[in-house]
Amino acid sequence: MILTLEYYHSPTRYLVGRGATGTALGGRAAGVIASNLSPLRLMSRPEPRLPGEGWTRVKPLLSGICGSDLGLLTGRNSPYLSALVSMPFTPGHEVVGETLDALPDLPRGSRVVLDPVLGCAPRAVPECAHCAAGEHSRCNHITSGSVAAGLQTGFCADTGGGWSRMLVAHQSQLHIVPSTLDTRQAVLVEPLACAIHSVRRARIPDGAGVVVVGAGTVGLLTILALRECTKAGPIYVIAKHAHQREHARQLGATEIFSTDRAARALRRAAGGFLARPERGEEFLLGGAEVAFECTGGSGLSIALRLVRAGGTVVLSGMPNSGTDLTPVWFRELNLVGAYASGGRDFPEALALAQAAPLQGYVDAVYPLSRWRDAIGHASAAGRLGTVKVAFDPTKE
Amino acid sequence: MSRPGFVLEVDERTPALLVHEGEGFRLERFPLGTRVIYPPESLPGIRDVDAEIRRALDHPIGREPLRELLRAGMKLTIVFDDLSIPLPPMRTPDIRQRIIEQVLELAAEAGVDDVELIAGNSLHRRMTPAELKRTVGERVFRSFFPGHLRNHDAEDRANLISVGTTDHGELVEINRRGAESDLVVYVNVTLTAMSGGSKSVSVGLASYRSLKHHHNVHTLRHSRSFNDPPNSAMHHSYDRMAAVLAEHVNIFQIECTVNNDTFPTATGFLNKREWEWSLKDQATYLAVKRGNDLAPARRRRQLWHKTSAPYGITSVTAGSPEEVHAVTMRHVLRQQLTEVDGPADIGVWGLPYICPYNVNSIMNPILVMSLGLGYFFNLYRGQPIVRPGGVAIFYHPMRNEFHPVHHPSYIDFYEEVLAETTDPVAIETKYEEQFASDPWYTHLYRNSYAYHGVHPLYMWYWGAHALEHVGQVIFVGADRRTASRLGFRAASTLDDALEMAKDTVGRAPSISYLHTPPLVMADVR
Amino acid sequence: MGLVKEARVLLAGRDWRGRSRTPRTAAPHEPPDEPREFPTGWARMAATVAARRTIQRAGLTPLTWSLTRPDVQGRDRLDSLTGPVVFVANHSSHLDTPLILGSLPQRYAKRIAVGAAADYFFDARWRAAVTALVFNAFPVERYRSRRLRSLAPQLLARGWSLLLFPEGTRSEDGWMSTMRLGAAQLCVTRRVPAVPVVLRGTYAAMPRGRNWPIPGRPRVVVRYGTPLSPVEGETARTFNTRLSQAVSRLWAEEELGWYQSLRAQADGELVLPTGPPTASWRRSWESTRPLKSDRGPVAWH
Repeated sequence: MILTLEYYHSPTRYLVGRGATGTALGGRAAGVIASNLSPLRLMSRPEPRLPGEGWTRVKPLLSGICGSDLGLLTGRNSPYLSALVSMPFTPGHEVVGETLDALPDLPRGSRVVLDPVLGCAPRAVPECAHCAAGEHSRCNHITSGSVAAGLQTGFCADTGGGWSRMLVAHQSQLHIVPSTLDTRQAVLVEPLACAIHSVRRARIPDGAGVVVVGAGTVGLLTILALRECTKAGPIYVIAKHAHQREHARQLGATEIFSTDRAARALRRAAGGFLARPERGEEFLLGGAEVAFECTGGSGLSIALRLVRAGGTVVLSGMPNSGTDLTPVWFRELNLVGAYASGGRDFPEALALAQAAPLQGYVDAVYPLSRWRDAIGHASAAGRLGTVKVAFDPTKE
Repeated sequence: MSRPGFVLEVDERTPALLVHEGEGFRLERFPLGTRVIYPPESLPGIRDVDAEIRRALDHPIGREPLRELLRAGMKLTIVFDDLSIPLPPMRTPDIRQRIIEQVLELAAEAGVDDVELIAGNSLHRRMTPAELKRTVGERVFRSFFPGHLRNHDAEDRANLISVGTTDHGELVEINRRGAESDLVVYVNVTLTAMSGGSKSVSVGLASYRSLKHHHNVHTLRHSRSFNDPPNSAMHHSYDRMAAVLAEHVNIFQIECTVNNDTFPTATGFLNKREWEWSLKDQATYLAVKRGNDLAPARRRRQLWHKTSAPYGITSVTAGSPEEVHAVTMRHVLRQQLTEVDGPADIGVWGLPYICPYNVNSIMNPILVMSLGLGYFFNLYRGQPIVRPGGVAIFYHPMRNEFHPVHHPSYIDFYEEVLAETTDPVAIETKYEEQFASDPWYTHLYRNSYAYHGVHPLYMWYWGAHALEHVGQVIFVGADRRTASRLGFRAASTLDDALEMAKDTVGRAPSISYLHTPPLVMADVR
Repeated sequence: MGLVKEARVLLAGRDWRGRSRTPRTAAPHEPPDEPREFPTGWARMAATVAARRTIQRAGLTPLTWSLTRPDVQGRDRLDSLTGPVVFVANHSSHLDTPLILGSLPQRYAKRIAVGAAADYFFDARWRAAVTALVFNAFPVERYRSRRLRSLAPQLLARGWSLLLFPEGTRSEDGWMSTMRLGAAQLCVTRRVPAVPVVLRGTYAAMPRGRNWPIPGRPRVVVRYGTPLSPVEGETARTFNTRLSQAVSRLWAEEELGWYQSLRAQADGELVLPTGPPTASWRRSWESTRPLKSDRGPVAWH
């Protein structure tokens, strides 16, 4: 038997949470809702069984709380995703762990990071075209095969997830962490891989002006990826909190704006005219070439208003709010999705995580038993000066 | 009989004195020995203003009477000062309206058909139709707007013309219509000693390319003060430009001065000396102060900006700009000048709710700076009321508020430029070009009601002399973050401010308080 | 800042009426203090007159008559009078005015204004208001410190009679001092008769410094004399002399009786009763001697 946080099927709680966070007041109280209303419980469960060849049990050492996890708990995530999960499941897909079984090329006791995507290889199905091309995040077989439906580990009933004492993972999902990389930084490898993936998706011209909306984990790592993996010109960051500004600057942001005057400041920096509709936010005729939406919420609307005609807006966070798409139509924008990671993103992320100044990003670690505190903290991470909150399931 | 201005020395008999602070005021007990500079009492206004105007037009100084200058078939342009003066706006009918009506009467008599009216707003925001109507009056507005009554546009390249260059290499570029007219009649109101005269056409109708020769840090640092034209590098430049203009443009200048009736009778205590306040004044003070403090911010602003001054006109003079202005200056100084015996360690100024650039608008932090360290600090002749290296204490809440329509470039200046530096020279070198040529600001200046992009920088230069002169600037009652962004310190009370000042001026500093408005200019010996 | 705190700042350095002293350095710039006149016009409006008569007849007169025993003499001499007149009386007590107002015939009591010292009665507004309401007082300048235009001629012109105390102030010791020219001047220029009135015993009943009569209902005398009209060509000075003669005689009537007083006058023995040239205590001693009890009007003595 292992201790695990379990997300169970509860349409009532989902709808109540979704309804509450949909309102302005509820939006502010998301932390309370996530930690009290969400269909999450701490249980003792049998260990997950190994689904087949090439799988190993993994003991999570550190397991991050991601924005999409919070969206799940507050019910903000779109119901679209419900077809891609199998319940009950254990959340947690940003995992650093230790293998408990020996596999070829992966001795028992190896410290590994998990690439959570459950593509064709772990599912032991014939490879789809995407997986064959090395783009397993686009896998079409996400609901079939040897394990239950689930887009990732952490959304699948059979594999377990990071927020427990044990999960199972396929060898193809695991990457050995170099001994020089601290566990606390290793937990950032998965989101960093996603960030690298997202900046690749945008095809940024050399010297192009880029806006990063949001400076949470995703935003910050996007800045890092932009600086390391592209030849982007000035990077403008829209950040709410002081520590985020500090980090963003450190990672190579050119200028940092506050939310309320982003449009004006960007106009000064990138040129163009500022237009003020009778209702709603002001927008630019002109602006940056590419914008990254890294908030998983209202940021999309901002991003769409700051990009010049023909520019690109990348959805790095999971979109979970209704947004006026008029700018996409009028300014002929490219709206680009960027989900998870694929190909060589993970090894690159591992290399980058060692070089980059990511110390101190994970500064709040909770045992599973204090999950309500942990969720509450993660919901207010920005305000509390934290970048990443994580569980340490080995702690009592 | 109005009494002259004088310097009060605070003794134990002195009651608390009134200090303006933005859209409000307070009573402050100043330390014993503080010198308080009071303006002369309001001079009596001319009873029959219309007759006086008629007299001025018929008997101009240094020119033929206006009716002799007017003839059929000529091109006549009437230029008038924009809404930046007088402050607060004067009760209608505005003196400009009265003058313009008489000028038009004469023009009609002479059969002049080609008449244009232009507001000499330079880089200021355009006046709205309602503001134009208020200034020139219903009849003029109806007859000329919008075709022949308009704002000057300093960015309309097609309608600007270079008139020449001064011997200092300063380009004189003004409104084409003005330059090509057979006669320009300039209708001016001189509120402070800095305006009128050479400034009228050379600034009011100028373009940015021409203005930058005198609106810069160097000139302003050498204008001591810019309210004392003989000692103002800025005015020397105006004079040189005016000389060039005089060769090409036929200017008939009409100037007038107002007295010190700044506040309506209902709040008469604001115009009175505190120890002479009657019981009624005191009750009014309490009621107005209380009501004002409790009023919602928007309502309060509306009320303040709705007040208009019952100014009396103290002189109307017409003729050649130079000679007219000499007369005007005498009248201004008679109303405003108070002799002061030497500078003090600390200067204190209460900043009111209005400055030339926030009529019907919001006084943003940059305007507060320019009003305090620019306009009020420079209300002196001889030397400032505070010694070099002394401390300047101002009263203003200095909220981080901007009018999004009127002051768009101010917002960026505050957020971006001041976050980096507050040094006028550094700002001028690095940012002036950017702000002056930003197409969006230019667009808003020309088509919306925005001040020109470069205007906030000018406002900052306005305080350059003061910044160089004083050792420390403290704002009483100011928002701390805003004040620190501007490079100043904020104190919650005068006592705190004096405590802070100790580092700079020692334990027993001498203090001078310029008791204004109504306006007073210190003649510091 | 709260209202209380605000008021405290405002009132610091001011007296209870909110007046501040002029700071020393501001003193040279002080505007000349313009004499301010307390308006008394309202005191002569119909409603105020009615109110005053009520106050006098229901309050003041009964009160005075209950605290003293007034002996009113010579009122019949007023019977033949018409039109406004000037009552000229000696003055030694605050009782004087109520006694005269209470003893006048109705037609005069209704339409009389009392000259009161501007510097005393019209100094404070509340006192001015009360005096004007109760006595129909109007301000009279005693010391010519400020040049107020006197209301007296106007009042006479409008048909008001006046009660004036030409000594200018209440007596220090009960004896009279010289009568100033003002009243006589008025009569001569406006050509109105003067009625001499003498009050005796009022000093004894309520001297200067007391604000309530002495106990025991002291006897007081109000004696009206024959009206005197200025004759053609008479100067104010001679009229004033005649007037003081009349007052002296009325005064002496108390001790000498009517006829003796007339004779004394004819012999030129009467002078203004300014009192014996003795020590001040003896002067006071004499004037506070109670009047002899009721003897009724005696013609012969």
